[in-house]
Amino acid sequence: MALPEEAIKLLAAGQNGDGGWGAAAGKGSSTEVTALALLALESSEGRSGAVEKARRWLIERQNPDGSWPLSASAKGPSWSTALAMLALGAEQRSRVVKAGLWALEQEGSKPGLLANLVRAIRFEKKVVRLDEDLIGWSWSPDTFSWVEPTGYFLLALKKYRALLPEKSWRERVEQGELMIYDRMCEGGGWNYGNSSVYGDSMWPYPDVTAVALIALQDRRERKQNQQSLGVLTELAQKTDSGLALGWTAICLALYGQDGGAMKKLLAERFAQTGFLGETKVLALAALAAGDGARYFRV
Amino acid sequence: MNRRQFLQTSAAASLAPLLGSCGDGVRWEKSAYIKAKKSRVAILAAERYDSALRDTILRGLRLFSLAVAGKRVLLKPNLVEFDPRGVINTHPAVIEAAVDAFRTLGAREVIVAEGPGHRRDNEYILTASGLYDVIREHRVRYVDLNTDDVRPAPVKSSFTRFKELYLPDTLYNADLLVSMPKLKTHHWGGVTLALKNMFGVIPGAIYGWPKNALHWAGINGSIVDINSSLPLPRFAIVDGIVGMEGNGPLQGEARQAGVLVFGSDLVAVDATAARLMTIEPTRVQYLADAGKFLGNVELAAIEQIGETVESRRQDFRVLEKFNYLKKLIG
Repeated sequence: MALPEEAIKLLAAGQNGDGGWGAAAGKGSSTEVTALALLALESSEGRSGAVEKARRWLIERQNPDGSWPLSASAKGPSWSTALAMLALGAEQRSRVVKAGLWALEQEGSKPGLLANLVRAIRFEKKVVRLDEDLIGWSWSPDTFSWVEPTGYFLLALKKYRALLPEKSWRERVEQGELMIYDRMCEGGGWNYGNSSVYGDSMWPYPDVTAVALIALQDRRERKQNQQSLGVLTELAQKTDSGLALGWTAICLALYGQDGGAMKKLLAERFAQTGFLGETKVLALAALAAGDGARYFRV
Repeated sequence: MNRRQFLQTSAAASLAPLLGSCGDGVRWEKSAYIKAKKSRVAILAAERYDSALRDTILRGLRLFSLAVAGKRVLLKPNLVEFDPRGVINTHPAVIEAAVDAFRTLGAREVIVAEGPGHRRDNEYILTASGLYDVIREHRVRYVDLNTDDVRPAPVKSSFTRFKELYLPDTLYNADLLVSMPKLKTHHWGGVTLALKNMFGVIPGAIYGWPKNALHWAGINGSIVDINSSLPLPRFAIVDGIVGMEGNGPLQGEARQAGVLVFGSDLVAVDATAARLMTIEPTRVQYLADAGKFLGNVELAAIEQIGETVESRRQDFRVLEKFNYLKKLIG
């Protein structure tokens, strides 16, 4: 059986009794994995019983403030809220709006006066090449902004722009975009969010580059996007990973490019490693191999 | 004390209330005090990543009479990132030899687990680093600690503001945690060894990539607080066959050191490994703090077996800001 049929079959078999999915078979359900697995199943079989059960899992776990927790065992507000928003869709308008309003309030932190004072007293040079004043979204509350969570939130907010207050939407989205561009690696592409440390350039990762480009898909004509798209295609072809290839194939589809080569590599990779049994990668591969890119279009 | 040290000390003192310091009081719970009067650390020569490593590691483990028969052993290498031009990771040959050695000693199961600090892409980092071939060939279970199920653990010391940390379930289901770092300098902490390697047990899904919540709370304090709160016994095997000097832990240069370092006291192991790099461990902030209750950092409290530090010491280059670490005491 070929990808994506085999991935869908494995996903269906790996759904937990509560309706969600965990990082791997036997692990507790998490919002990130459930959101992506739900979309993968929906893209393949429509609103089946399994999909409805997964949607119910998400709906029942939304926090009163609009956010989603990471999992049943880590209940606080989390970055995976953006993926839950994407998975539920505008059909769950009130939930998505509540989450969007929560997301607009979340800001990555800045080092602040105290840290700058300590740095000055120690005569420290700036060790990283980035603009600390540009705010995006962080992985955990009260910490710095990073590329991947900012990419997810930009994507979700752009998807539901019409449902959210324009002024605050514009402020946050514009600055989030600036933050991502600021973190771009020399020559294009992104890693977790540092382009240089102590003067040494850091290298881009295909998975994060694809997420950033997906979040910036409405800026596709920009030089940085085109440059990074070239970097992504080159990187993904030499990266032995379903995660990298899956995100890349989705990204190429959104940029109107031929993702055939990536899909072929994805299938080969699946045959070799089974993506180490990682549910999230199975879901992304199924989305990439089918027409799942539509869920990420803004 | 020179002008810079004076200013640093003055700044730290004046900012202490704002940084959440606990003042002069004891900063750890009684149950967190695990420092022995004396600790043993073994340095064994190992010049190459080859098949002889299996016997070397077995010999190293036997020096400590580890009771692992029937137990589940969790090997925690350093896979923070991958660069084909560099020597960032614990070499897969060392991990392979450790799997074999613990199985020889009767371990019920040996698993490899890591929560890479920069990369979310396990398949890539395992394949690129060569570890995938090892776990496949030897049928070893690999656990991604970044996305493992978690449970909150009380923090048993107060060098940061963390009152609790989420820890992976896999730690609670193992009997021995073996920290397997690379011998490296570190651009924030001075050195990264067995204690710092424990950043990798902290789940990225909660604390991020990089594990910025730990950086935000203070790297030195986080290292101590994590190590005071781990729920299982520990051991360390440091891959010092080829280490990294300069702008470590990612962008430094390879440095042949030709050793493996073993021990049950991770503070003493790190202190010895630092001395092997000609770095004074008592000047490394987190080692000095950990040395108060988690283990021995002072030279006199460490019984050195195997090779001597003096015979294997290398002058590892550090970033200029860490030049003060290069004056060995004793």
